[in-house]
Amino acid sequence: MLEIVGVTKQFGGLTALQDVTFTVERGELVALVGPNGAGKSTLFNIIAGAFPPTRGRIVFEGRDVTSFSSHDLARLGVARTFQQTTLFGEQTALENVLHGRHRHVRARLLAGLLATPSYREEQREVERRALGVLELLGIAAYRDAIAADLPLGIQKLLTVAIALATEPVLLLLDEPAAGLSGEEIDELAALIRSLETAVVLVEHHMDLVMEICDDVAVLDFGRLIAHGPPAAIRGDPAVIDAYLGEAVDHVEAD
Amino acid sequence: MKRGLLGLVIAALALLPSFGEPYVLHVAIVVLIHVVYAQALYVIMRMGYLSFGHAGYIALGGYTSALLATKLGVSPWIGFLAGGAVASLFAWALGTVTLKLRGIYFSLSVFAFAEVVNAVFRAFEAFGGPAGIAAVPRPVLFGTRLQTHAQFYYVVLAVALVALFFLYRLQWTRFGFTLLALRTRETEALAESIGINAARHKTLAFVVSCCFCGLMGAVHVPYLRFVSPFVFTFFLSTDLMVYVMVGGLGSYWGPMLGTVLLTGLGEQLFAAGYYKSLVYAVVLLVVILALPGGLISLPRIFRRGATRERVVPADATAARER
Repeated sequence: MLEIVGVTKQFGGLTALQDVTFTVERGELVALVGPNGAGKSTLFNIIAGAFPPTRGRIVFEGRDVTSFSSHDLARLGVARTFQQTTLFGEQTALENVLHGRHRHVRARLLAGLLATPSYREEQREVERRALGVLELLGIAAYRDAIAADLPLGIQKLLTVAIALATEPVLLLLDEPAAGLSGEEIDELAALIRSLETAVVLVEHHMDLVMEICDDVAVLDFGRLIAHGPPAAIRGDPAVIDAYLGEAVDHVEAD
Repeated sequence: MKRGLLGLVIAALALLPSFGEPYVLHVAIVVLIHVVYAQALYVIMRMGYLSFGHAGYIALGGYTSALLATKLGVSPWIGFLAGGAVASLFAWALGTVTLKLRGIYFSLSVFAFAEVVNAVFRAFEAFGGPAGIAAVPRPVLFGTRLQTHAQFYYVVLAVALVALFFLYRLQWTRFGFTLLALRTRETEALAESIGINAARHKTLAFVVSCCFCGLMGAVHVPYLRFVSPFVFTFFLSTDLMVYVMVGGLGSYWGPMLGTVLLTGLGEQLFAAGYYKSLVYAVVLLVVILALPGGLISLPRIFRRGATRERVVPADATAARER
């Protein structure tokens, strides 16, 4: 469903990614891991359409989307979260998720100005759907709270809620567990596992990665050094080498 | 109750010429015109953009209607629409390029544009040069040229009500809601990630904002019967921002409140020009420092009082554990 084909990214003289190729199947859960500076975030941002690769292609559902902007990609069903918790901070939790419904709302400015019955019915339907997403994540009680005032754990869930409200085919999560407590991470793991969409996540918490992912892609110095199921990755000499002999299970967030 | 109050205000405005002297009507006309300017500016301030140059779009609309009427003999009614259209066109052209910029860079680009507009009008005799254009005709309705204050008042009232209704409704459409997602660079990135075409939304919002400034400018000039490069200047642009900020950005009624108080009462109490600037400056400082939400936030602050601290609903924790 998602093919990353020979992606290379150079920033000036620095090669952040070197000829990275792998695929993500429909409904698959893939983790991007690697030491700091390995190029995880760069690859993640290229997949999300934040900037284009220097060479190589991104193919999504058989379509070359290499040069697509992030809003074009979102409309095809690619949603993402940001490493730094990004929300519509001044608005309520429900309003945040309402924005997430954007690609499913028809643009009908005239009907909106006149507030026609069908337009109002559509807006109510949008609100029902948004509320449904908050309920799915168990944060519906916060619907009217201002997003910026919420505790970090709830904010993280809200960022996922916004992305899920777009009903993505592919969900990109950038360090969703950063800053969460052990209990919150468990909840998040259960949530991610329950999703039917394909997920690509960048994550430092190896426990989480090994526990929930179908596949792990390991980057080191911009190259893909291993790609396979967690059990195979765990014993891969190149991976152990990249982490300087640390037991992979115990690599922690920086 | 709100609807009743609104109806009462509109009825009072409609009946004003039966009671008011010409001077009262003059103040009412000036206030109505500036209310539309401020509400139009509010469209982009609500999405996090400041403009130091909206007067440029007002001038474009005003000059369009004045030139059409005096040089080509076009009816001022058509001039009104043409004023809005010309301002929209230039807003689209500038907005496409400059709305990528944020903060002071955008504000200054609009400022520069407004200065260019007035400089061009001043430089070319075809546009009236430094002396401007005099004897701009008023529109004709049912064979009567609308020369008195009372007659023209109804023109201004009608245009203002239509504009204000449109701008009010716009805010409550999905489009108006989406503009709130574009308030900062960070939220704009988030908005893009969920499929919002930020550039297109911002450009349309800017065009709407400038369109109503151009339209009202095109009404303003026939009222004055005169326009020159020194009528719609930088000072008008900044005054409009003061109105919006003093009234408050948090609600549609904020900019309106600020404009009515500062242009209406302010001009009455402090008719002399120097005092006006001084009063505006002091009021703005006090509001920014003591009341960042503007005057419109006062009732809300009183109402919330003690419960203001409780941001997270009390049953939220319980609901999560379930």
